[in-house]
Amino acid sequence: MAWVTWRQHRSQVIAMGALVATLAAAIVGTDLPIRAAYHRDTLSECLPPTSRAGCDIIVRHFLGQFDGWVTALRGLAVLPALVGIFIGAPLLARELEHGTHRFAWTQGVTRRRWLLSKTTLLAIATVATSALASALVMWWRSPFDTLDGRISPSGFDIEGVVVPAYALFALAVGVLAGLLFRRTVPAMTATLIVFVSTRLVVLAFLRPHFLAPLHRTAVASDTGRQAGDWILSDTLVDAAGRPITAGREDLAVLHAQQAGIDPHSYLVSVGWKRAISYQPAGRFWEFQLIEAGLFTALAVAIVLLAIWLIRRTPS
Amino acid sequence: MIEFHLDPRSGVATYLQIVQQVKEALRLGTIEVGDQLPTVREVVADLAINPNTVAKAYRELEREGLVVARQGRGTFVSNTLARGTIRHHDALRESLERWLDAAQNAGLDEESIRALISSTLRETLARRVA
Amino acid sequence: MNAPPLDARALGKRFRREWALRDCTLTIPKGAIVGLAGPNSAGKSTLLALAAGLLAPSEGSVAVLGRDPLREPSVLAEVGYVAQGAPLYRGFSVGETIELGRRTNSRWDDELVAHACSGASLATKVGALSAGERALLALALALGKRPRILLLDEPFAGLDPLAGREFLKLLMDGVAETSATVVIASHVIADIERVCDHIVLLAGGAVRLTGNVEELLESHRILMGPRRPLGPIRGVSEIVRERYSGRQATLLVKSDDVIRDPSWTVEHVALEELLLAYMAPERLPTPRPAERAALRWHG
Repeated sequence: MAWVTWRQHRSQVIAMGALVATLAAAIVGTDLPIRAAYHRDTLSECLPPTSRAGCDIIVRHFLGQFDGWVTALRGLAVLPALVGIFIGAPLLARELEHGTHRFAWTQGVTRRRWLLSKTTLLAIATVATSALASALVMWWRSPFDTLDGRISPSGFDIEGVVVPAYALFALAVGVLAGLLFRRTVPAMTATLIVFVSTRLVVLAFLRPHFLAPLHRTAVASDTGRQAGDWILSDTLVDAAGRPITAGREDLAVLHAQQAGIDPHSYLVSVGWKRAISYQPAGRFWEFQLIEAGLFTALAVAIVLLAIWLIRRTPS
Repeated sequence: MIEFHLDPRSGVATYLQIVQQVKEALRLGTIEVGDQLPTVREVVADLAINPNTVAKAYRELEREGLVVARQGRGTFVSNTLARGTIRHHDALRESLERWLDAAQNAGLDEESIRALISSTLRETLARRVA
Repeated sequence: MNAPPLDARALGKRFRREWALRDCTLTIPKGAIVGLAGPNSAGKSTLLALAAGLLAPSEGSVAVLGRDPLREPSVLAEVGYVAQGAPLYRGFSVGETIELGRRTNSRWDDELVAHACSGASLATKVGALSAGERALLALALALGKRPRILLLDEPFAGLDPLAGREFLKLLMDGVAETSATVVIASHVIADIERVCDHIVLLAGGAVRLTGNVEELLESHRILMGPRRPLGPIRGVSEIVRERYSGRQATLLVKSDDVIRDPSWTVEHVALEELLLAYMAPERLPTPRPAERAALRWHG
């Protein structure tokens, strides 16, 4: 089956490779100015917990200079979905749509073995290329990760072991969608929808609670950065810990302004604080393993379901 | 080597047509004792007929003592039908051709020629027996 | 080892609400070349797909070489199947298609395939082949695994007569070499009449007639005579079809003895005529009780 899988999917695998090669070229090409700026401004001296005077200005300038590239790189989060749409979905959908399954499944290989072999081999290629892509991104982002942290979604989603896990999940969803919809375009659409929704649900509802968030309070006027951590919520609370609505805050500021007092000091004097819940930067790898484990387990379950279902597919 | 041809509309069973064609070849000296008949595979690949049909024809020929099947090597002619008459064929063929020319010149069509030959043959054979 | 190549017991398949095949019981003897005849939508493709393990039965069972193709898919290594339209990967070349066959079948005869594909250039893409060449390639692949049974679904559809003849030649050559049992589904009788020694007639999802071709032709006759009320006729066991025009009656009958009635002209039946008579809607089998005997195979 290795020969068959390669022959049928070689253009897809080569495309994956070409994509990663292009990424590598872009990564290496854009890295030079970043490293240069990093060293020129000796930003290593500005890393927390070191805090020289003026560091915040230098860091802000540095981040601002490359902000466009950093934001663009976040677009790589779409790559795992492409695996599902262009490799996973057509795997079964194309065979069923064109009737070639009547040829493929009546040779000496059983349907289940056929699907298992193909999926496994493509999964290996997927993991290899996505791991490479992830490594490239992590290498490129290292100055930003040290300054800005990587546990928040802008870094988390495109680094580490979650990237191969997302790709595996997308591949699995695509394969199952191809089996259920039997037509390539509906399968691709369904794959996209399921992949994106699952990622969003995990990101919005599960990841914040992989481990219990930490809490701290800060002075109401403190607008300092909490470099590296993933801020989940940052709300103004009164002395008893009850949240204060924006309307109420505005009233208080107005009151202070009318009384001629500095609004920030006024907020502090009435005992209001900021309640911040967050996930600390140090939990990056724990969270990576949890999320990667989750998506990998889903991928495996989905593929096993497809293998079980394939015997029941009428032709 | 014989080349078989099939007439699906003749009303004669396929295997019988093969038997007849082998016998005709024997009579004409096209094949002789010791020659190998085409293998079943060769015949079906040429005529697109059921291999069992060819096998049945060859079995019939074997039953009549004309051929013998050698396991793994093929089917071979074991007997002749020509009875030493083949050397006369050329001369006979020539006089037959002259006769046919004369018949055609006299205005007989194919059907009439066949009818004349069949009835004369019948009468001649009947005279021989009697 | 002694199991018949194909054995169906009360086999039925339903798609949504329609039964494509119902109560189909038949056994195919080893070494037979069977014509599976019947009009379109008779259930021929369904029967072959069930035998090839591509569909699951809704009722009853089917066994190929003694095994259930869905529960024991390993039996498919000995089953050659060519679906309608001879599906192949259009992007593959001829050589790559053969390589696929070689790699996915444990028993593979390179010589047989090379002999079967002697006309084609290995580099040509399957998509560039004509319908006839594709059919030959699909057949070559099916033969390459040296199957014990070959299932061909409408192989002549879309082929011109020359291509159809080439296909039959290759098929017979392959059968002579491998001694495979063959089931050819075709709605055109003339295509298969040349090679089949057994017939299974399906119509409306039911088996209407099965048997050895020679025996069937020997046991049926056409009777022609003046139109009159019919009583029992000596030598006739069953009237299969009656036709009347003006003052003439033409009957197609099953005979169990020589028919010596001088009021009837007796003639042999052609296979196509016989099958058409058994396909007629008025011959729909009456609902049978559960305890009836399975149709026996003649020969």
